[in-house]
Amino acid sequence: MSLATTAHHVLESEELRALRESVRAFLRQEIASDGFVPAVDCWLGSWDAAFSRKLAARGWLGMTIPVEYGGHGRSFLERFVVTEELLAAGAPLAAHWISDRQIAPSLMKFGTKEQRRKLLPGIAAGEIFFAIGMSEPDSGSDLASVRTKAVKVDGGWQLTGSKIWTSGAHLAHYFIVLARSAPLDPEHRHAGLSQYVVALDAPGIDIRPIVSMNGQHHFNQVFFDGVFVPDAMLFGREGDGWTQVTSELSYERSGPERLLSTVAVLGEMAAATQRGDLPPDPELGRMFARVMALHQMSISVADALSSGRPTDQEAAIVKVLGTATEGDVAELVGLTVGSAGGGSADGLERLREMTATALLARPGFTLRGGTNEILRGVIARGLGLR
Amino acid sequence: MSDATRIDPQLEQLLEQVLCTAAGLHAGSTDLRLDRALWARLAESGLTRLTGADSGAGWVEAAGLLRAAARHAAAVPVAENDLLAGWLVEQAGLPDDPSIVRTSCVVDASGAAAAVPWASEVDRVVVLWESAGGWRVADVPVGDARIARGRDLAGRPTDAVQVDLARCAPGAGAISAEDARAYDLRGALARAAQSTGAMDRMLAMSAQYVTERVQFGRPLARFQAIQHLVADVACEVALANAAVDAAVVEMASTHDDLDRLELVVAIARSVVGHAATVVVRNAHQVHGAIGTTLEHRLHELSKPVLAWRMEFGSVREWDARLAAMLAHAGTDLWSFGVRSSRS
Repeated sequence: MSLATTAHHVLESEELRALRESVRAFLRQEIASDGFVPAVDCWLGSWDAAFSRKLAARGWLGMTIPVEYGGHGRSFLERFVVTEELLAAGAPLAAHWISDRQIAPSLMKFGTKEQRRKLLPGIAAGEIFFAIGMSEPDSGSDLASVRTKAVKVDGGWQLTGSKIWTSGAHLAHYFIVLARSAPLDPEHRHAGLSQYVVALDAPGIDIRPIVSMNGQHHFNQVFFDGVFVPDAMLFGREGDGWTQVTSELSYERSGPERLLSTVAVLGEMAAATQRGDLPPDPELGRMFARVMALHQMSISVADALSSGRPTDQEAAIVKVLGTATEGDVAELVGLTVGSAGGGSADGLERLREMTATALLARPGFTLRGGTNEILRGVIARGLGLR
Repeated sequence: MSDATRIDPQLEQLLEQVLCTAAGLHAGSTDLRLDRALWARLAESGLTRLTGADSGAGWVEAAGLLRAAARHAAAVPVAENDLLAGWLVEQAGLPDDPSIVRTSCVVDASGAAAAVPWASEVDRVVVLWESAGGWRVADVPVGDARIARGRDLAGRPTDAVQVDLARCAPGAGAISAEDARAYDLRGALARAAQSTGAMDRMLAMSAQYVTERVQFGRPLARFQAIQHLVADVACEVALANAAVDAAVVEMASTHDDLDRLELVVAIARSVVGHAATVVVRNAHQVHGAIGTTLEHRLHELSKPVLAWRMEFGSVREWDARLAAMLAHAGTDLWSFGVRSSRS
C-alpha cells in the first residue's frame, strides 16, 4: 500500500549518548588546544595521520573490527555515533577515512585470514591507510566498464591500466583495485571482474596529482605498468569483483559524511547568529531541520545495515537528500555573507572563509560515491518504475 | 534496537478495514462534509477517542490513525476530537462522553476564534482561553455558540466561532500554562502526521500512474525525467516521515520537556512543510492535466496537505522559530539538535 521508505525510528540508548559525550569532550579539548581547526569536507580534505592515531589511542578507529584482529569489537551503531560527532566538529579524518569506513568491513567479509592479520591491526592503530581503486578515466558512473587488466602470471597477477579520482593515493599505503580478470562478455558485463589489494609503493606504480579547483590536492590518477600482485593479495574471489564492489559501495553511500560535510559551516552561521553578527534567518532554521531529519534517517540506515537488512533504497535516499542539503547549506551561507568591506571586522571572517571553501567543494558533493542522477535511478527502480 | 514507531499489525489492519470505506468527495462539489457513516464505524471500533483515559493507546497509535485517515482522504475530525478537544476535556477534568463529536479552539478575550476546523459539523466546541486566573477550558454545545461557516482551500469547514465567556466560565475547568503550550504543539504535530499520510498516498498514486500511462509508445515511467520527479517525491516523503516519527516518539514519552518537544515538532513542521512543496508539485506534474480535475482523486490528497501546513503556524513561522531557538540555544548547533548524556 505505502511505497514510502518508512525507515524505522531508532531511539538512542543512554550508552550511545554517553559515548557521544565522551567524543564531544575530547573534541572540545582538541579544539581548545589547537589540535585542529574545524573544516568543511574534513573527511576528504583534512589528512592528519597524527590526529588519526590520537583517535586510535582512544579506541575510536577500527571500532567494529574484532578484538582478535586488533580492533575493539564495538557495534556498528557505536561507530556511527563516534563518526557523526567527529564529522560534525569538522575534525581531520581523511587519513583513516577509507580504511575505517569500507576496507575494514570488506576485509572482514571477503578477506583471507592472512590478509586480515596483515592489515586490520594496522588499520585499527592508524598505521595503515587505504585509498579506493574503482573509477577510471572512461568509467565514472558506469563502473562495470573498467578496463584495468589483471593477467594471471606465475605466483600472482600482473595489473595494467589506470585509476582516477583516487583520493589520498599519494599518502596512503594500499588501495583495493577493481580490474578485469577475464575478457568482457557483453551479455554478462558484471562477470570477469576481480579485486586486488595493491601496495601504493609497488614497482610499476606511478601516482600523478589532480589538483581540485580550490587548489587542494587529494585526487590522483594512478597508473599501473605491469604491477605484480602476489596471489595472497587477490581480494575475495576471482570473478566476484562486482558483487564485492557493490557491497563496498553500500558503506560508501549510506554514511553520515553524506550529509555532514558542511554542518560545521551551518554551525558557524548559528554561532554568528548567537553573537548577534547575523539576524536570525528562517533559512537557517530550515536547513537545521533538514540536517536533523537526515540524521534520524541516517542512523536508521546504519541500524538496518548492522542487522543485515537491505538498505539500498534508504541509503540512496539519504545520499540524494544529504548531499543536496550539504550544497544548499553552502548556497545559503553564500547568499548570506557579503565580501568583507569597510575595513572593520564584522565577526563574519570565519564564516566567510568557510563559505568560500564550501562553495568550491560543493560541485563534488553530488558526484562522489555515485552521482545523484544514478541514485535517483536506484530509487526509481525500488519504486517499480524501471 | 527496537522500532519505536511501529504500531501493532492488528491495529494497522483494523485501520485499513475501516478507513477504506471513506466516502471521499461528492462528485461535482468542492465542499467537504463530515463523513458521518465513517465516523460511526470508527466509533464502533473505538477509534474516535483512541488516546482516551483507559484506552492504552498513545501518540504512536494516534499518528498511525491520522496517517491512515489521511491516506484515505477521510473527512473525519479524528485529530480534533481525540488529540485536541478530548485531551483538553481530560486535562481540565471535565466529563468526557465518547459518543459526542468535538472540535476545539483557542478563543480571545471576547470569546472569538477564526477558522476553527469542523465547528459547523460537530456537536460541541471545546474552547480554551487565558483568563486573569490562568488557562480555562469549557465544553460548549454548538447550539450555545455563534458559528459562521467558512472553508479552507481543501473545502473543509473552517468556521468562525463566537462564545459568551461569561456563560462558559461557571462550568469551565482549568489547565496549566504548560498544557496550553502543549496544546499548540499537539495540533501542529497532528497536522504534520496527517500530511505524511496524504503524501505517502500521493507517492503511491504517482508511481502507479506513471507505470500505467503510455505516451510516445511507452509508459511514462520509462522516461528518466519522470523517474527523477517521482524519486524526489520518495525522498521528501521519507524525510518527512523520519521527522514526524522523531516528534511522535518525543510526544509519546512520559517526561515533559516542553522545550525539547517544541524543537522536534518545529523540525517536523519545517521538514513536512518544505516536503509538501516538492511532493505536491511533482505528483501533479507526473499526473498531467487529469490530475488537475475534480474528477481525479489526486486533489483530495494534495489540497489537504496544502491546507494543513497553514494551520498551527505557517512553514515560515516554524523556520523562524527554529532560527530563534538556535540563536538562544546557548550551545552549538549540533549539540543543540543531537542530545548526548550531558545535554
